[in-house]
Amino acid sequence: MGTRILTVEDDERIRTAVKLALEDEGWIVDEADNGEEALELFARHPSDVVLIDIMLPGIDGFEVCRSIRRNSDVPIVMVTARADTHDVVAGLEAGADDYLTKPFAPKELSARIRALLRRVRATDPLSAHVRLGDLEIIPDEGVVTRAGAEVHLTKTEFRLLVELASSPGRVFSREVLLERVWGYGYFGDGRLVDVHIRRLRTKVEADPANPRHVVTVRGLGYKLQP
Amino acid sequence: MRFRPRRLGLRARITLAFGLGSLLLSVALSTSTWAFTRQSQLNQREAEQLDTVIRNAGSVRRQLAGGARPEGWMRDHLSSLPTAAAGTVLREEVSTSANPPTIATAGTRHSFEDVPRSLRQTLEGGSAATMRYRIADTPMLALGVPLIAEDAIYLELVDLSDLEHSLDLLAAYLAGASGLVTLAGATLGWWASRRTLLPLTDVGLAAHAIASGRLDTRLEAAHDPDLAVLVSSFNEMATALQSRIERDARFASDVSHELRSPLMTLAASAEVLQTRRDELPPRSQSALDLLVDDVNRFQQLVADLLEISRFDSGAAHLQLDPVLLPEFLSRAVALATHETIPVLTDGASTDLIVSVDKRRLAQVVANLIDNARKYAGGATAVRVVHRGDEVDIVVEDRGPGIDEADRARVFDRFSRGAGAGARGSDTGSGLGLALVAEHVALHGGRVSIDDRPDGDSGARFIVTLPAGALDGDDDDGRPEAPDLSLPDLADVAPAPSGAETPGRAP
Repeated sequence: MGTRILTVEDDERIRTAVKLALEDEGWIVDEADNGEEALELFARHPSDVVLIDIMLPGIDGFEVCRSIRRNSDVPIVMVTARADTHDVVAGLEAGADDYLTKPFAPKELSARIRALLRRVRATDPLSAHVRLGDLEIIPDEGVVTRAGAEVHLTKTEFRLLVELASSPGRVFSREVLLERVWGYGYFGDGRLVDVHIRRLRTKVEADPANPRHVVTVRGLGYKLQP
Repeated sequence: MRFRPRRLGLRARITLAFGLGSLLLSVALSTSTWAFTRQSQLNQREAEQLDTVIRNAGSVRRQLAGGARPEGWMRDHLSSLPTAAAGTVLREEVSTSANPPTIATAGTRHSFEDVPRSLRQTLEGGSAATMRYRIADTPMLALGVPLIAEDAIYLELVDLSDLEHSLDLLAAYLAGASGLVTLAGATLGWWASRRTLLPLTDVGLAAHAIASGRLDTRLEAAHDPDLAVLVSSFNEMATALQSRIERDARFASDVSHELRSPLMTLAASAEVLQTRRDELPPRSQSALDLLVDDVNRFQQLVADLLEISRFDSGAAHLQLDPVLLPEFLSRAVALATHETIPVLTDGASTDLIVSVDKRRLAQVVANLIDNARKYAGGATAVRVVHRGDEVDIVVEDRGPGIDEADRARVFDRFSRGAGAGARGSDTGSGLGLALVAEHVALHGGRVSIDDRPDGDSGARFIVTLPAGALDGDDDDGRPEAPDLSLPDLADVAPAPSGAETPGRAP
């Protein structure tokens, strides 16, 4: 079965052109021109990647993202108007894994989608269980438990945690995490890491405001504390 | 060269005028007060003394008429006279010039001869007279009465030192008062001018704030009817200016936003065509190449326009991260060009960590290298020079250099190099260097252009950034600005060295 991609975009011409470009990559593309239709379509045919424009008529992209995130850990790419607005952070907070700014080159989009798909199917750098206090990571099964109860993480959050857990106590700079988890290099947007770390903390920390495991190292990056 | 004295400021002039006015007025008042007091004091003293002199002269005349004249009788009599005078003198036998006159004195060392000549003559002429004079620096008042029947002159000498002393004291007191009044006048002038100019200071501050980009600055409504006109017209001007500027900025931004959607469709469609380029006939391939190139150029232009309209609308914000500057520059250079351009550091900058907006500074480096490629045959080196609390990032080339007169204009929007009349295959937006200036200014730095120090032709574009830790809008829960005393960077996981993804659309 081929890879299914759902694009949610209200401009028909852009949607068509993007569909053509993505189909050239060999993917199956579903289209929706508003949020309601997108949610309905996603319920019928779960996609492998969802591409959402934030500016939508009716329910906006953030809401669509949150609705999908309630039931699914499918990779989501947000399309925003500007890179340096709060939209990016809001989109990531709503559950997006990555973002693009308009106008983007379809090649760039395909590269992002491929990186997300790789993440889903990645062989993890961690083979053994890792136990950190009440936190347990079982990489083979893709499962994380806190105090015995399973914690639901998205693929990106899981990858981020596994990267940090590959060398507990070592400081990972944002650039390294961007490279290893998102496939971005030195000039990637550090906010991707920051927001995902924040989301990760709300799930794996008993008190996210005072993290015990996922710790910020001033000016350098993040580390997982045993 | 002509010397032009510096004009005094309005406040200094008002203060000076108030001070001078007070000085003139107080000096005039003091002088007239002193003169009036002196005159009335002297007159009073003279009038009092005159009564005494006339009484005493009568007493002396009766004594002279009495006839009996034992030895020293007259001195005793003179001494017994009730008078405030310092001394009395009696000169007899005035008219008999053959014999030396008989003179009796009491209470004074001064003789009749010490009295001014004009007074003596008047007295000898038979008229009573008074006169003020100084002898041995002592102010004296002489009152004389000729006793014509007895052929004698009776004279009282009054020491005026006490009066003069009082008048000196008064003069000193008045001078002091004048000084104080002058000072008070000048202070009043200073205060009044300050009060008067205070609204102007506010206007100046507001105008400065508007000029530096805070377009919503307004003056507070004034209750003073004299100022209300100024305030309301200033605010009207500011509102008109703001709406004008915002309209212009919004227009550029709106146009760019509107262009993005068709541009995305164009770019995506062109890409679909490009993947099938080999299936097209040669003429269509050439047309497609032109289309793809110009779509790319168009996209760059729109991206730059959007970027610069963010600056114009004041919506540009820094997103600061600490970076090891030489490493950052090497990566930025590698991202910008496939040519090998060395990044050279001096000793002080090898380990230099600065807080920068990576995306913006990478664009600065890319645009400067791009500019050198277009107009100077390519950049030859990027240098880092750390000086105190600033760091220079210098992009050097060996092109024709830039005339000093053109240097400021180079950073204007859509200004192109002098040698670039024809566009040729120039794919720039014309906003590259303008964006460089904006990005650097947002960092609190500045850009400048210099000649090569080695005397060869070529230009140096110098980006000067503050080298301390900057405070940015740190609202995304990101790690804080670097504590530069942190452990060495060897503890940090090594940065990946693989192929980079372009940083423009992250």
